[in-house]
Amino acid sequence: MWFSSIFFRTLHSYHVAIAGWGIGMGLVVLQPLAAASTVVGTAAGRASLTQLASAFAFNAAPVALGTVAGYATWKVGVFMLIMAIWPLLAASRTLRGEEERGSLEVLLSVPRTRARVALEKLAAMWTALLAMAALIGLIVFVGSQSFNPGFGVGDALLFGLDLALVCAVFGGLALLISQFTVDRRRAAGWTATLLLVFVVLDSVHRLFPGTEGLSRLSPVYYYNLSKPLVTSYGTSLGGMLVLLALTLVLSGAAVWLFARRDVGGVVPLPEWLRLPRRAAPRGRALPVDDLSLRGVYRRSLAMIAVPTFWWTVGIAGFAAFMVAGVAQVEKTISGLATTGSVIKTVVEKVGGGNVQTNATLLSAIFALLPVLLMAFAVTQVSRWSADEEEGRLELVLSTPQSRQRVLLGRFAALTTATVLIGVLTLAASAVAAAAVGLKLNGGNLAAATLGIIPMGLLVAAIGYLASGWLRATVDTGLVSLLTAIWFFISLVGPELRWPDAILRLSAFYYYGAPLVQGLQVTSVLGLVVLSALALAAGSWRFAGKDIAR
Amino acid sequence: MAAIVDVEGLTKSYGGTRGIVDVSFQVEEGEVFGFLGPNGAGKTTTIRLLMALLRADAGVARIAGLDCWRDSLAIKRLVGYAPGEPSLDPDLTGGQILEYLGHLRGGVDQAYLRQLIERLDLDPTRKFRQYSQGNKRKVILVQALMHRPRVVILDEPTSGLDPLNQHEFGRMVDEVGREGRSVFLSSHVLSEVEQWCSRVGIIREGRIVRIGDVAEVKDIKRYQITILFAARVPAEAFDRLDGVVGAETTAGGHGLRLTMQGSADAVIKAAAQYPVVSLSSHEPSLEDIFLRYYEADGRAVKEATRVV
Repeated sequence: MWFSSIFFRTLHSYHVAIAGWGIGMGLVVLQPLAAASTVVGTAAGRASLTQLASAFAFNAAPVALGTVAGYATWKVGVFMLIMAIWPLLAASRTLRGEEERGSLEVLLSVPRTRARVALEKLAAMWTALLAMAALIGLIVFVGSQSFNPGFGVGDALLFGLDLALVCAVFGGLALLISQFTVDRRRAAGWTATLLLVFVVLDSVHRLFPGTEGLSRLSPVYYYNLSKPLVTSYGTSLGGMLVLLALTLVLSGAAVWLFARRDVGGVVPLPEWLRLPRRAAPRGRALPVDDLSLRGVYRRSLAMIAVPTFWWTVGIAGFAAFMVAGVAQVEKTISGLATTGSVIKTVVEKVGGGNVQTNATLLSAIFALLPVLLMAFAVTQVSRWSADEEEGRLELVLSTPQSRQRVLLGRFAALTTATVLIGVLTLAASAVAAAAVGLKLNGGNLAAATLGIIPMGLLVAAIGYLASGWLRATVDTGLVSLLTAIWFFISLVGPELRWPDAILRLSAFYYYGAPLVQGLQVTSVLGLVVLSALALAAGSWRFAGKDIAR
Repeated sequence: MAAIVDVEGLTKSYGGTRGIVDVSFQVEEGEVFGFLGPNGAGKTTTIRLLMALLRADAGVARIAGLDCWRDSLAIKRLVGYAPGEPSLDPDLTGGQILEYLGHLRGGVDQAYLRQLIERLDLDPTRKFRQYSQGNKRKVILVQALMHRPRVVILDEPTSGLDPLNQHEFGRMVDEVGREGRSVFLSSHVLSEVEQWCSRVGIIREGRIVRIGDVAEVKDIKRYQITILFAARVPAEAFDRLDGVVGAETTAGGHGLRLTMQGSADAVIKAAAQYPVVSLSSHEPSLEDIFLRYYEADGRAVKEATRVV
């Protein structure tokens, strides 16, 4: 059956993703449901939670926070949109990726129209998203029964459906963008950037009153109109219909363009949007005299330059935005000082200080910075593994460059990029703090922003090491999963009062709360040493392995 | 002449899958050596072992007396390599790729590089992703030759090239050989191997089945005589004659196709006893030899497994 049609064949290729994302995201929601009773069990806890929620308004609008479902919905908030990464990647790969590999030409030689081929693939992606939604809904419903969550199986499934719909929008967007890009990476990169922009755009109206019109431009806004687990709030049929309509319009436009353009080509942009051609006359094509071509490190740096720029914009922009956002809710934060609530404890554990300071709350938010840098590192691990797997290292390794030199050159370029991101994040945060008049300890701010560098390098080094044995997709999945597990431990560990030995398993434990506590030299050195060991082992393995094809 | 490439008992498997088994051969300095075999026979595995992209399970491969794995860095200074499946950064132009690889090799003679580009009619200003298969192949070939390596290792070098460029590339290979440098090229295009190479090795299912001079491999001692008679002739009258390896009748008994080894004197004398319409003799082409080694019949292969 699985090979009887393009639809089934494509769906079959998604079975691991369905299980992984479905179960993973289900557990993400289950965790705050399990922890909710300790947080909302007392009147003081509920009161402080309400105050805290307004400070964390960028995450989600606080609704029925005193209930188990309300707390869980607010807690998972924007984090659920991480699932949009899957359709974004899948849609980029599905047509453009296959064109790059050359497999689409074979597929289009069978007696099926292009539109049908594209629609069958799209339908498989939508089916996979629905399957993920069903898994999430069922896990949330079944897993939460002992916590008396106050919602039924239908509500849980609607929660999953709402998430699937917003993910389908980003899948459709990626598919549409991929009609204009020459490769899948660009399509995925542009869509990921837009995802970030839309998340920020949606949060603007919760941070800055009177800006709801701006937020309506974001699909995330319509996703957040529904809170199916909170039965008193319910589901917005209108919001879901907008998401469905957006999905159909974006996907329809993508399929329409795909059916009309050259296979392997792109939809031509209007003249005014095109970059000027800089083709050199053939006779003067060589020597190129391009500094970036004078060695593995320089070439690697040039390869990583564009993604580094966009990730810097994202990470530094996020940090600056949060600094400005915290300044807006300064009064609310100071109110927490008197409550003595469980939430205060939570913030203090995550943030690592006293809630009376701006730095404490900002520290809790800044805990996301290493996650973002680690995500950047994961993309570069993926690129390294794919370059080897797809034979792009073969000619470089046929030159008199040792394997270690090639690997270390690539890693050095990645290190340069992460340092640059850290430094520019520091600069952006400092400028934002100065602009809004937020007082922060300069040394601690430097520790918080530059402290993310070893976190990114650790993930990269582990990814490079694992690439010695694993295929690119498995390697990428492994480091992604590791990052998610570490973050999960750091997120729920303090809340559930897990033993210190377990918390120490997470790299985030060693990042700590530098914005409040300053630089933890031993921890940072520990991360650096661990990264160096992983890199050394990875280099040793790479020097002795068969180079893949 | 000394062997520039020396392979002894080289064995490689991929888990449980066969790669190559006990492969041994030598390539002399200044020689153009052809490595023949169908897809999956083990040609690319052998080449990737020579290039230290794979590590052998057993056996040893040496280039210029240096161990291909242990001394790979030194070997890469001597070698130019063109892989079978070109995969390079799609965002770089052909010129940028050549400049990058040139820098990694410590610099190349720009005049010679431009000459190679012109001879293969390559446009270096286009991005790799925009090239046709043939033009991608040209980039790969130019980079393999641009630093005038002592040994050139080419995996299916003409795949995707048009006949004009194939011809030009053949001239380049010939020039490399005449300059005393060595070429090891794999191919399943027999005519080009026959034309360019002085010696040839044939690999089948991971094992070398024949190595020798092209002329020897063509086995000039073994040839065919085809005789057309005006009347039917009994095949038995010929198949036991001296020099006859095999005989079969054709044209409804009026013709005979004889596989010969050695003198044809007895056959000519026997044929003279019948009314002969025509008689022809021809050497087997490399194609014939090649196909013979790839017959499904294992016996034929076993018989052929020898070095001449």
